[in-house]
Amino acid sequence: MVFLRSEEHLGRWLDANGWEPGATLGASKLNDLSRDWWGSRLDVGWRPRPAAESQAILDRLELVGEFWSYG
Amino acid sequence: MDAFDLDVRRHVYFSVVANGRPPTTVETAGAFDLPEPEVAAAYRRLHDAHALVLFPDTTDVWMANPFCFAPTAHSVAAGGRTWTGTCAWDALGIPAALHCDGRIESACACCSEPVALEVTDGELVEGDDLLVHILLPARRWWEDIGFT
Repeated sequence: MVFLRSEEHLGRWLDANGWEPGATLGASKLNDLSRDWWGSRLDVGWRPRPAAESQAILDRLELVGEFWSYG
Repeated sequence: MDAFDLDVRRHVYFSVVANGRPPTTVETAGAFDLPEPEVAAAYRRLHDAHALVLFPDTTDVWMANPFCFAPTAHSVAAGGRTWTGTCAWDALGIPAALHCDGRIESACACCSEPVALEVTDGELVEGDDLLVHILLPARRWWEDIGFT
């Protein structure tokens, strides 16, 4: 998962590596996702998060569809 | 995941925050007053459960996500230390996990020009013009976590 400066840079990066496009987010959206995904990682009572809870985080941020299907 | 493995995992993460690096199995065995092989087995189980990532064929911690212990393009200043994020997502995950502000210095994957992001009070206040690309769909993220 990488940072890119623009759509043009994204296209050039995919072409240069011969990769099919995946999903593109704005950095603010990824920050929102990071906050929800990693915010409990250092909790004393941390336990493995069930796949359904991970999916719920993605759903709440409207990261939906086959690409974002976690299970 | 049983209580012992959760205790070992908690010790690893709290050691990362306290010392800026993960403990070796010998160090963790000393902390628990247990034989090293018992702790090494716990590290391997935590790896298999995706609760830690070990370097291949070792019991050395590569990632206690979002913290990474190998060089990457993503440097994160947060909580009084400079950390390494495995990827863009983990880089933003470090201030999120530490519940503090953070500054990420990274590079555009295309042109290698430096890029910077700043998180203050949980919000991205610099770098919101940047894009993030995720190549693999969610169900494949753990196939090769180093690539993901």
